[in-house]
Order: sequence, then C-alpha cells, then structure tokens
Amino acid sequence: MARRGRLVIKPDRCTGCRTCELACAFVHSTGGLLGLSRIRIREAGAGPEGDRHLQMTCLQCIEAACVKVCPVDALVRNEDTGAIEVSERCIGCGLCAVVCPFGHMHFDRMLGRPIKCDLCGGAPTCAAFCPHGALEVR
Amino acid sequence: MERRFKINDIDVKARAGEHLLDVARRYGFEIPSLCHHEALPPIGACRICLVEVAWGGRRELCTSCNFEVIEGMQVTTDTPAVQHHRAMNLELLLARAPGSARLRELAAQYGVRRTRFGPPATSPLPNCILCELCVRACEQLGNHALTMVGRGDKKRIGLAFNSPSEQCTGCASCASVCPTECIPVKDTAAGRTIWGQTHPLVLCKVCGAPVMTERQRAKAIAKKGLPEEYYDFCESCKQSTASKRFASIVW
Amino acid sequence: MARIGNAKQLAEYRKQVKASKPESRKAIAVCAGTGCKAFGSFELFEAFREALARHELDRQWDLRATGCHGFCERGPLVLFFPDGMLYQRVKSSDVDEIVQTTLKQGKVVDRLLYTDPQSGDAYIKERDIPFYKHQRRLVLEQNGQIDPCSIDDYIALGGYSALAKALAMGPHRVLDEVERAHLRGRGGAGFPAGRKWKTCRGTESDKRYIICNADEGDPGAFMDRSVLEGNPHSVLEGMIIGAFAIGADEGWVYVRQEYPLAIERLELALEAARAKGLLGEDILGSGFAFDVHINRGGGAFVCGEESALIASLEGRRGVPRRRPPYPAVAGLHGKPTNINNVETWANVPLIVGKGADWFRSIGTEGSKGTKIFSLVGKVNNTGLVEVPMGMPLRQIVEDIGGGIPGGKRFKAVQTGGPSGGCLPADKLDVAVDFDSLTAEGSMMGSGGMIVMDEDTCMVDVARYFVGFLKFESCGNCTSCRDGLERMHELLTDITEGRGTDETIALLEDLAATVKATSLCALGTTAVNPVQSTLKYFRDEYEAHVRDKRCPARVCKALISYTIDNDACTGCTLCAKRCPQDAISGQKKGPHTIDQDKCIKCGICRDVCTYDAVRVE
Repeated sequence: MARRGRLVIKPDRCTGCRTCELACAFVHSTGGLLGLSRIRIREAGAGPEGDRHLQMTCLQCIEAACVKVCPVDALVRNEDTGAIEVSERCIGCGLCAVVCPFGHMHFDRMLGRPIKCDLCGGAPTCAAFCPHGALEVR
Repeated sequence: MERRFKINDIDVKARAGEHLLDVARRYGFEIPSLCHHEALPPIGACRICLVEVAWGGRRELCTSCNFEVIEGMQVTTDTPAVQHHRAMNLELLLARAPGSARLRELAAQYGVRRTRFGPPATSPLPNCILCELCVRACEQLGNHALTMVGRGDKKRIGLAFNSPSEQCTGCASCASVCPTECIPVKDTAAGRTIWGQTHPLVLCKVCGAPVMTERQRAKAIAKKGLPEEYYDFCESCKQSTASKRFASIVW
Repeated sequence: MARIGNAKQLAEYRKQVKASKPESRKAIAVCAGTGCKAFGSFELFEAFREALARHELDRQWDLRATGCHGFCERGPLVLFFPDGMLYQRVKSSDVDEIVQTTLKQGKVVDRLLYTDPQSGDAYIKERDIPFYKHQRRLVLEQNGQIDPCSIDDYIALGGYSALAKALAMGPHRVLDEVERAHLRGRGGAGFPAGRKWKTCRGTESDKRYIICNADEGDPGAFMDRSVLEGNPHSVLEGMIIGAFAIGADEGWVYVRQEYPLAIERLELALEAARAKGLLGEDILGSGFAFDVHINRGGGAFVCGEESALIASLEGRRGVPRRRPPYPAVAGLHGKPTNINNVETWANVPLIVGKGADWFRSIGTEGSKGTKIFSLVGKVNNTGLVEVPMGMPLRQIVEDIGGGIPGGKRFKAVQTGGPSGGCLPADKLDVAVDFDSLTAEGSMMGSGGMIVMDEDTCMVDVARYFVGFLKFESCGNCTSCRDGLERMHELLTDITEGRGTDETIALLEDLAATVKATSLCALGTTAVNPVQSTLKYFRDEYEAHVRDKRCPARVCKALISYTIDNDACTGCTLCAKRCPQDAISGQKKGPHTIDQDKCIKCGICRDVCTYDAVRVE
C-alpha cells in the first residue's frame, strides 16, 4: 500500500522541549490548548547525558482496540496516511479512550469527542516543528 | 446502482438510497443542520437542512437529510425560499434554545438575531430543541433508555414511565451528540449523575481517577470481547505505564 | 355453518338464504348506529321484539338492528320493508301504537313521519325525504337494510359475488378494472388506488401486506365508523379482493380503540367469513389464502397518516417518515404494503361487481364515484350523506342539509376535517371533488363537513382547529410542532384583543413556513383553516386587531353584555341565573350588569324573555 510515509520517533534525540505538543495543539484547536495536543512528552528518568524524554502518540495499531470497541464504526483508517481517524460518525460514548492500552487517546468531555493523532493528513506538524530531528516522516 | 444528478448545477454521483445531505456534504456543499448525524438514521426534525429539489416536472422544498437521491434531479441549496424558511424555523428553535451558542450563531447567519416568540409553554429541559439525536444515539447503542414522551406541543425527551432507567449505562453519549449541549452530566466522587440517577464509577486501579461507569464497563465487556483489564486504568496512568515500558526497550 | 367450497356453491347458498328471507318479506329495521343508539335505539329494539312476540307478529315481521341510516339528526330511525316507510325520533313508548296502527291496520302514524320544518310537508317514504332524495347511496345503500352481524343478510343482497367474480377474473384483470375505474383514495389524498395496487403488486417480494386504515380521527367525522358498524363485510370483501389482486396473504385493520362497536362487528364479520371459507385458507376453492387481523389504535390523530400508522402497527411511536419509499414499495416490516381507508375498500366490491364503466359513469372527469360526508354543525339535517362526486356544495348544505337552523345566515363551510379550509357563501357553487376543493384552498380530506352560521367567529374557528392540530402533531418537525404552537398563541392574542396588524402578518408568514417545510400532510395542511379564513374572512381578523371588535360576538375579551333599560321589565330572571352575581336591580325596575364581575358566559342573554340583553 502506497502510504505517504510514517511518523518515526527517535527518543534519544528528544530534549523534552515540547515544541511538538504546542505545534499539535495549534494545528488542532483554536488558541493552542495544550490539553488538546495529540502528542505528549513523558519524562523517562535520568540517563548518562541528562533527563530522558519519550514522545507518546498514537501508534495507529494494525488491530486497534479502539476500532474494535467503537459501537458505530466511527474510527476509520485513512488508507492514504495509515492513520486511524475519528469520523463524523462518532457519538461520543468514550469507549475507545477507555480501552486504548497505551493511553494515547483522550476523551474530551466538553467536545464530546475523543482526541487522537490523525497524522495531519500525511504531513505531521509535530515532525515539521521538531527542532532536534526527534520526529521524522519517512 | 449509481445515481447522477446536479447540485447547484454541478454534476454529482451517489449510490442509490443515499441521502442527499450526505452526498452534498461529501462534495463540499454547505447545508446547515441541527438534527443530522452520520451514524444515526435521519428523521428530518429540525427542518433546517432544507433545499429545493426539481425532478420529473415537480419542484419541492424538502429536507435533504432524509431525502433519498433521485436520478437526474436538480438540487438548489440556497434559494430565497430556502433561506426564508430556514430563518423562520431557526427563529422558532431560538425561542426553545436561547442559551445555545451554536444555534445563536447559525440563526445570526440567516439574519435572525432575536426571536419574536417567547419561551415555549412546555419545555422541561431548557434549551432542548427536540432533535432526538440523544434518543437515536441511545437506541443505536442498544440501550433504549431515552425516549420521546408525549406528542405535539407537549413532546419532550424523557425516560419510560418517568423513572430512572435500568437501561441507562451513564455513558453520556446523549450529552456528546446534543447540538445545544442541554443534557446535564455531573461527575463527582460519588459517581456520574445523569437522567435522574447517579452511576457508580470504575476507578483507575493506579491513581483512583474515574474511568467509566460500572454499567458501561459491564456492558462493554459483555458485548465487545476485549479483556477485562482493558477497562481498568485511566488514560494518564496507561500512558505513564506504557512510557516506562517503551523506555526500557529503547534504553 | 358449512364452508362454501366454490363460486357455484356460493350462488346456491345465496338462493337458500333468499328463499328463507324473501325481499317481499315484511321487515322492521331499527337503526343501531352510534347516533341512534345514543338516542335509545337499543331499548327501542327490545321494545319492538317484546311487542312483536306479545302480538304474535314475530313470524310475519322480521326485526333487524341495522347500521347507521345517516339521518342522525332525526334518530332513532325505524325503516319498514318492503315499502320503505321511515319513522323518525321513535321512542319505546311509540311501539304499541306502531304495532296497533301500522303493523296491524296498515295505517301511518303521522306524527312519526319526517316533516320538513320549512315547507311543513310530511314524507312517508325514506327515499322521498329531501335529505335522502338528493343522495346517491352506493357504499351506504345496504346500511339500512342488513343486520351487520349477519353474513347471510350480506350474502342475500349479493355479498361476496364480487369476490367470486374477482377470483375468476384473475389478479391482473382485477388490477386493470380498479385502475380503469379511476378509484381515488377516500382517506384524503385522493391517490389513484389502481396505480398504488399495481406498484405494490409489481414490487418484488416474498411477502405483501394490505392495511385498512380505520383510524378516523377528524372531530365530528364518522363515515368510516358507520361503514364498519353498518356493513363490515363490504369492507372485508374489498380487502380480500384487493389482497388477491395484489398478491398479499395478510391484512390488518387499524381501527380506533374509541370505536368498540365497529371492532365488535368487524370481529364477528371475520369469524363468519372464516367459517364460510371466504377468509383464511383456500378461499372459495381458489387456492388463494388470506387472513385479516385487527389492531386497535391508541387514539393519536397522526396515526391516520399511513407511515405513522405502519410505525404504530410495528410497535413503534406513531411518527411519520419521509416518503418515498412509499408503503407500496417498503411498508409494514419493510415489505410492500397497500394501505387504503375504509371507504375506499368498501367501493371495491361495487367496482368489481358492477364494472369499471358503471363506476366511471358516476362523478366528474377527475373524481369518479361517490363520497360520504359527515354533515355537521349549524345545519338542519346533520348526518351521514353520500353524494356523487361533483355535486355543488350548495346542494349538500341547502337541499340535503336543509339549510341553516333558526333562520340564521350561512357563513362558511369547512370541508376535509380539522385541516380543511373554510369556504364562504360565494364559494358554495364549487363542485365537491378532489381537485376543485383543493383549488379553492380547502380539501376533500376524508369527508368531514362542518357548516357555520353568522354567529361563528372565523378567527375563533381557526384558533380552535390550530389548537387541535398543535395537540395532535407528532412533534417531529420544528415547523409543525413549534409553528402550530406559535400560530395558536398569535390567534389567541387576536381573539383576546392583543393583536395588531403585525400579528396578522407574522401569522401569515409563519403559516407559509409550516405549510412549506413540514414533513407529513398533518403539518402541510394544518394551516388551511388559517390561510383560508385569512383569504375569505380577512375583515374579521382586521376588526379584531384594529377595532378590537369581534363581529360575530364570540370572542369574550372583545364583547360586553349590557341590559337595555327600555326593554328590561325587571323580571329578575337574569339576576337569579347569573353565576357571578354580576346583575343587580330592583324588582320591576331596570337591571344593570357589573362589567368587572361579568364573565361573559351569556346565560343572561339566553334566559331573557324580553330580548333586553345586548352584546357589543
């Protein structure tokens, strides 16, 4: 399948600057609410060269629990980008966010919708803004 | 079977049996609507997605959400009549739901900034526009807790026999789909309060944060076949656990 | 009761029944329709039975309780066969005199005859009475003749011969015949039944249904009720023929719970037809199988709309859905379903029996056959009338209806039930058929006809009907649910003196949206009473808002009662009767009404023998 490239995460290059979070939040919400960012930086303890950081975002699982649990088939894989996207079919029951084994989905009660990475339609903004090459599109 | 027709003089294609609004939106035509939802059967309640349709010598003003496409028809999405009647129906709805920002915004687009009508005589749920999205979502989930009660000007959203429903799982999908955000949901330590009852919550096994209601969990486990431990942790603790696991692999 | 195995056996059975009940046999038919029952016809029937037995006349006279004869104003009605004499307003206490004078001596009891209140002419025979003379009773013809509980009575008059004929013709010729007859649905929309039947037959399916819509909900209308109560077999025969032509094996009658007598008689008819082999497996030996169930409606007006009716039949809320797909393509349980109303089905045996050409010879170019109306309101002869399509309204109101009582002036007639339009005097010459009525802003509807006189306020009438419809709307569409509620508020404002010219303008604007944007016919026609009164009686609306005056003196907020000092004799009757003690005055002196206390009930005016109470 001709996919437009995948998001490759390089944790050893991440400095924890959170530019990715900010970029994501601005692309996906007016006002750049950090709570609505689909990527999150987690601290992963101290290494020999200082604190380590990990970029946590949706893995676009092949057999995704979120897809399986959705009662209205609202989570649809975009065959172009490989991303699992929340379609307009979503009725906001929140089960997908409950069952994601990695906590990569966040259910926003105000919006009545789950928040998850959609790979920005094939050109992830986070990767474009990462100053350290810790997120790459290949 | 394919159907070909025109929307605002532009050629479009659709599958037989598809509804006009879905097709129009796919092609990028903007038609406002308050009671439509892709995952739920259309009922044509709000009467805002009006369009003019001409076929076989007939010309009809109709709602596009529940209109099955017809070969060779001509659809116009924004005639003066469409605009006029949308405005009147929005004005009627505005009297029901003056507190809805979304409705106020939409009405303003049609020049309706205030309504000449007072609050309706019967409206136990303030700002409810009776679009039935909540009822349809609840039916779609197989819960059938919500229903329409009464008819005519006495119609309202409610529960069968006006008593707290054993069917309600407290999932709050009704509140999620509500276009005027009029369904109150309250989460506290005691549980989630919605539709007259408080549902006990399943708490995260790590941090104790609420995950979901017990009923929603029991129903999902029975229906969806995922392992029970999938329903045991909050988003944040799951991410934290996962990050530790990933870190141990990377470093 | 033996099964009738084929058409030949049916003909033989008919001969037997006829031999036991020859047409020349003397019979007394007591109307047991709902109206006459309310007047005491049940007791009357028992009195006849007792008297006939006592005088040993029960072998010479056949006594029947029949369905509605139509002349409800004059009930209880008693019809004598074979000569067709009609006695009206008969009481149990009249029975002895009737037995002595009429049955024994063959003389007429003059005081029981119908006497025209205007001309003073008395009529002996039913068919000579103006109320009946101008009618063409086809569907209702047998109502006064047969005992609706007796299948033999129906068979004796040729019943089920049309079914035998249809079975011999084959389904396609029956479909052609019904289409050629140009039978249009009597339920309101007037859609050609033949076309609907053919669509249903032509839709590929393993199962088809037919439905009889007997959810008659119009206030004051009782056409379907009377046909079901008076001649249930005619409806059933029509349904069986329809099922055969369409290829349906199951049928439903959706009838109002409020019609217990109709349900009872229909149940009897179904049992009798099953026992005779006219319903169920292998009907008349043809191999065709069909059966009918009864469903009782819960009393929602909107369930008369076909898609709402089907939803209700499926056990869901009675809410209409967008058509197409029409029920003929996807109806009950998603299967092709043909739905017609009671009167339409009752026309089918006539068409198949007598032929499409005969049927086409009655009525107008676009509307064939007859139509039954419930003629009610301010008219002398209220009742059920059946007239050929195309008869001018005037003839129905004046000749059949006998004009307006009390020498009052005619003001309007509303056709088509609560959502029909009100037509004024200068529209009285309009022909009563589907297209002409619609062209004038009213409609045929299912056949309600309400006559109004000069004492009727047209704004108040519009307000009443909108009030009924806003209550009966299913509440799905914003335009219908909220629109009608708001129209009702505006009309209330006008009748209570708060209206302005802007109120009228908003009312018109709103009515246009309700009509244009509602999903089903309830909403799109609900504005007819408002739009037609605005069109024909606009001056009344304007008097209400500009002069704060109700020309018909109906709207309480706009009228006041006063006592004319010159006419008042001081009899004190009004003061005694006033429920508010608002009237004071000395005995034999002039009285006055305290306007602050007066609730405008009008009792003083009704009781005053000197016509001293004035309304302004």
